[in-house]
This record gives sequence, structure tokens and C-alpha cells, in this order.
Amino acid sequence: MEFLQNAIDAISLGAVYALAALGIGLIFSIMRLINFAHGELIMAGGFTLYTLAGQPLLVLILAALIVTAILALGMERIAFRPLRKANPATLLIASFAVSYLVQHTVLLLYGSRAMGVPFLADLSTSLEFGGLRVPRLQLVTIGVTLLLMGGLFAFFRYSRTGLQMRAAAEDFNMARLVGVRANRVIAFAFAISGGLACMVSFYLVAQTGSVSYKMGVSMVLIAFVSSVVGGMGSIVGAALGGFLVGIISVSLQAYLPVDLRPYRDAFVFLIFILFLFWKPEGLMKTRADRERV
Amino acid sequence: MTQRHILKTGLAAMAFAAGLPIAAQAEEPFIIGAAIAQSGAIAPYDEGPAKAMEIAIEEINAKGGLLGRPLKIIYSDTKSDIAYGATAAQNVIDQGAGMVVVTCDYDYGGAAASVADGANLIAFSTCAGDPKFGPSGIGPNAFTMSTGSPGQAVALAEWAYNKQGWKTAYILLDTTIAFDASYADAFERRWTELAGADGLLGKDTFGGEDPQIASQITRIKGLAKQPDVIALASFPPGGSSAMRQLRAAGVNQPLLLSESWDGDYWLEAVPNLSDAYLVTYGSVFGNDPRPEVVTFMDKFKAKYDAMPVTSHALTGYSVIQGWSKAVEKAGTFDTDKVRETLETFVDEPLITGPTTFTKETHINMQRDLVLMEVKDGKPGNIVGVVRAEQMPK
Repeated sequence: MEFLQNAIDAISLGAVYALAALGIGLIFSIMRLINFAHGELIMAGGFTLYTLAGQPLLVLILAALIVTAILALGMERIAFRPLRKANPATLLIASFAVSYLVQHTVLLLYGSRAMGVPFLADLSTSLEFGGLRVPRLQLVTIGVTLLLMGGLFAFFRYSRTGLQMRAAAEDFNMARLVGVRANRVIAFAFAISGGLACMVSFYLVAQTGSVSYKMGVSMVLIAFVSSVVGGMGSIVGAALGGFLVGIISVSLQAYLPVDLRPYRDAFVFLIFILFLFWKPEGLMKTRADRERV
Repeated sequence: MTQRHILKTGLAAMAFAAGLPIAAQAEEPFIIGAAIAQSGAIAPYDEGPAKAMEIAIEEINAKGGLLGRPLKIIYSDTKSDIAYGATAAQNVIDQGAGMVVVTCDYDYGGAAASVADGANLIAFSTCAGDPKFGPSGIGPNAFTMSTGSPGQAVALAEWAYNKQGWKTAYILLDTTIAFDASYADAFERRWTELAGADGLLGKDTFGGEDPQIASQITRIKGLAKQPDVIALASFPPGGSSAMRQLRAAGVNQPLLLSESWDGDYWLEAVPNLSDAYLVTYGSVFGNDPRPEVVTFMDKFKAKYDAMPVTSHALTGYSVIQGWSKAVEKAGTFDTDKVRETLETFVDEPLITGPTTFTKETHINMQRDLVLMEVKDGKPGNIVGVVRAEQMPK
């Protein structure tokens, strides 16, 4: 029974990590950018909920989605587009700079004290199934994650823009040569990643009931690890990686002896370092990463 | 007439016109240098105590100053940067500070305190709660006005066991900061002294930045016997997130909380919270059982148009209050004499409570704390004033 409960806990955490990793993985697959400012998209969503607290739920959700999408598009236009031809390290540094800028702007406007936000408090209660406890929020999160993964999959498979994105992810220059409009494809990807980040904001604010200017930082680290484990550049891999990190993290928390539990994250990362020794390309190998002669 | 001469005459005339006594030149203000965070992540924690220092200084100056000299406070911003604290301290010392006040935290205030201590100046932290703040961790001239985290944990353990009759406890520790580790450790040691080893049903840890604590909840719910009370060693927002999840999962035991939960800014995170008991310096809700605290809060409100966010403000007032008492008793601003006088304090009545310093210990453990309950989502319900009776061995 306890095992089943732990399994439920693990999958629900995995679903959140998968959502966060999808956003990171999507941008990486298309422009080889590890966007550390993704965490600040999450944070911006949270602060929108804080600022508009008291408004109807639909207004809150729409406003947060709009704010994160606009911020994502703004990052792309102002910081990343001019650097598109730069090497990945430059892009990475630029994403740190963007992250720092957004974090400190929020720090300036709202201060550093974490603030309580009433948002979807009803969802934090649990359903009981024969002794098993399933928080409603986790149920919704798993559902939303699966739905978004399905939606993204269908989008990539069947829509024109999705096809162009896949082409760009595989070979960006080649895609441009055959007429894919790079600016449009990349902007679209950023808007989607903004939306994904916003879903994570909803989860985090509903789960923790608070916002702080650092709320996205640890999430983006986990998302980064997840997308590496899943196979950089593979969108399905990023989601799988997210689930895997969540499951391992909860299992260690549940089964490590109490004295070792404070070092849980060290064990999580150790496991993934060993995993990467064994499978450096991650769970999913992407065609784009194969060495070309 | 040279230009400089004109300037001098002009200035003297202006001073005269403004009615400033020229003789005051003999009594230059004594400068208190505050090397604290005015911007960045730690700034909100230094803001209240700094404002309270200004109130204490105004009061002293209104009575004619200290040893006949007016007090003046100058600031240098540490920008919430641990290393920059040293520069900020040097900065106020270079501007003539004769005593330095540092940030309300061992890590963030330590560097500044070391610099001041090295320059043979008293270095007072407002509320750094780590027992190392003092001769053992920084130097002989370093003091803190806080009530250390072990003292808070012990006061709560004794109240829970002796007064409430709760016999079994569980500890949930957030591993983010050292403050909570020493809080949980002192609670565990005192609780097992009182209730025996069987009285502690277990302990668990979580990371304050973890998005969820589901497995910790599963473990509590899986206990053969549910605890009477849970010591939650954490702080918002990680701690309030944990609290929200505990309550949502039906873990409704009373929670024992440290000063980190002072104020009400985090309360929205846990809807309709009840049975959460916290100890802190005083009530910021205007209902403290001690009249001198209420008077202070009224003064604060009158000057700044709002109550302090947390009662840590009291420690800022007490730094000036305690230090100026020592200066008066010693009859001099000389650091060595002031330090020796501070070290003779035994239950010295200060606004943060009766304060004791010894040669070895420059932090208080067994000191009055106000115990408040959060009930039906309302903070600040006074339970009483408690104090750690017996620190664990």
C-alpha cells in the first residue's frame, strides 16, 4: 500500500518536471539554446497571479498566459534573435543574463519576501481511494501534462508549423534553404514555451500558495537535468526525463534512511551522472545529434 | 579675502542664522555605522530593525544625547551580498563610525562584523540567531540581540509538554538553512529529555524548494501512532508550502514554529490555518501582553504609518537601547570598556526581553518570547509569554 502511495506521489511530481522540461527541451531542439530564463517565465506567471489576486479564475489564467507568452516572445526578440548565429555557449550566457535581469526587476518591484497567494486552494485537498491519497491538484496536473504532451505531439505531427519546427530542429540551415521562415518558427516555439512555463506557474502557486522572485530557479535546474537525461533535443525525451527525475527523487526521499535524506539531491544527481556515463546521449537519441561526415 | 575664507564666513553665518549653537562643535555626534542590506534579497529583514534604530536614536537625542553627544546613524548598503558586507563595514568605519550594526543573519552579517571587530569596534547584529555569532564565530566585540533558535525550540518543547500535555512529537526539518537545523536539534534533545525517547515518533527532512512533500506526508500518515504535535523547522515560502500540503492531506496536528513565521504576509498560502503556534519577539498586531512592546509598536506606527512587518524590529531598537545603557554605565565610548559592561548584563530589561551577556556568550537563549497562535486563518492570538527553562545537555 505504501509502495502504491509512493508510486502515485512519484508520478505526480514527475508530471510537473515533465511540463517544465518540455519547455526547455522545445527551445533547445530548435535553436540549441538552453534557456535558463525559462524559470523567470514561470516566476512571471506566478507574479501575475499575485498581482491580480481576487479576479475571476478565467481572468487570472488568461492574464498569466498572456504575460508569459509576451515575456517569452520579448526575450526571443530582444536577447536571443541578435545572437542566433552565435555559438551555444554565448546563447547560454545570454539566457543567464536575461534570467538575472528579470529576477532583479521583480525584486525591485515586489521585494524579496515570499508572499502568500490564494489560488485554486480547493485543489489542494485529496481524494481517498481505499486508503490511497490522491491530491486533486496532482490528478489535474497529470491530466494536463498528458493532454499537453498529446497536443504537442499532434501539433508536431500534423500541423504545417509543427512540421517546420521539426525540420528546423533536425537541421536548421537546411530547413531555411527549403523555405522555412526561421523567425516565425522560432517565435512560435518561444510562445509555446511561455505557455508551458505558465502551466508550471499554475501548479507551483496552487501547490505552494506563495510566490517569490526565486520560485523558478530550482524548477529550471531540474528541467534542465531532465532534458539532458531525456536526450538533449528530443521533445519526447525531455518529457520522459522529467518523469524519470520525479520518480527517482520521490523514491529516494521515501526509501533513504533518515540521516541520508538531507543529501537526497546529491544522490539524484549522482544517479544521473552514472546514467550519462552509460548513455551519454540520454534516453532518446535525436537524429540531429548524429555526427555528420 | 580668499574664496575659502568667504565660504567659511558664509557657513558660519548660515549656522548662526539657523540658530545652531556654534559651541556644539565641541560635542560632535557619535556615529553609528549600519552596514546592512538596503537592497536585494535580505533587505526586508533589515528594514524593520533599521527603522526601529532610528526611533531609539531620536529618543536618546531628544534627551540630550549619550554622554552629552548626539547620536547619528549612517548607512552603507551591503546589497545583500555576503562578501560585500566587509566593504560596507569598512565604508562606515572610514566615515567615522564608532560602533557598527550589521545584518540580521550570521552568514550575511558575519563579514561586516569581522571587519568591525578587527577594527576594535563593537559589532552588533540585530537578530542573527546562530549561536556562533559572538566570540566563538567572529570575535570578542561581536554581539547579537537575537534569542537564539535553540532557545525558541526549547521554550516551545517545554510549553507543549508541560502546559499542553502533548506527549508525542514528530519533527519535520527543512534542510535549507542552519537556523532550522539547530532549532530541530534543540527541540529533539529537549523533547526526549521531557518525554523520553519514545515520545519522539520520528523525524524527516525536506528541501524548502521542493515543489511537494508528498512522500513526507505519506510517512507521517503511515506511522503506527499519530503524533500529538509536529515541530516544523522551516520558514516561508518553503515551509508554508509544506504546511499547506500537510493541512490539505488531513495532517491537522498542532505545529510548533520559530520566529521565522512572524507576521502575516505568508498566511494566504495556508487557507484557514489553525493550531499553528509560534514564538517570536513580540506581537505586531498591537496586542502584546507587555505594555512597553505595545508602546513601541504605537511609536513605530506613528512614525512610519504602518506596523513593522515582523517584530524583528524590536531587536533594532534593543541594539541601541542595550548598547547605550552599556555606554552610560561605562561612562565612555571606549570599545573595551563598553564590551566589558555589556558582558555584565544579567536580565537587563530591554524591549526584546531580559538580556544577559557573558564573556563567552554574546547571544541570548533563555529569554522571554511571546507565544501566538494562528487560529481560523487569523494570526496574532496571544497565548502568553514563554521562556526556555532548561537548555538541553
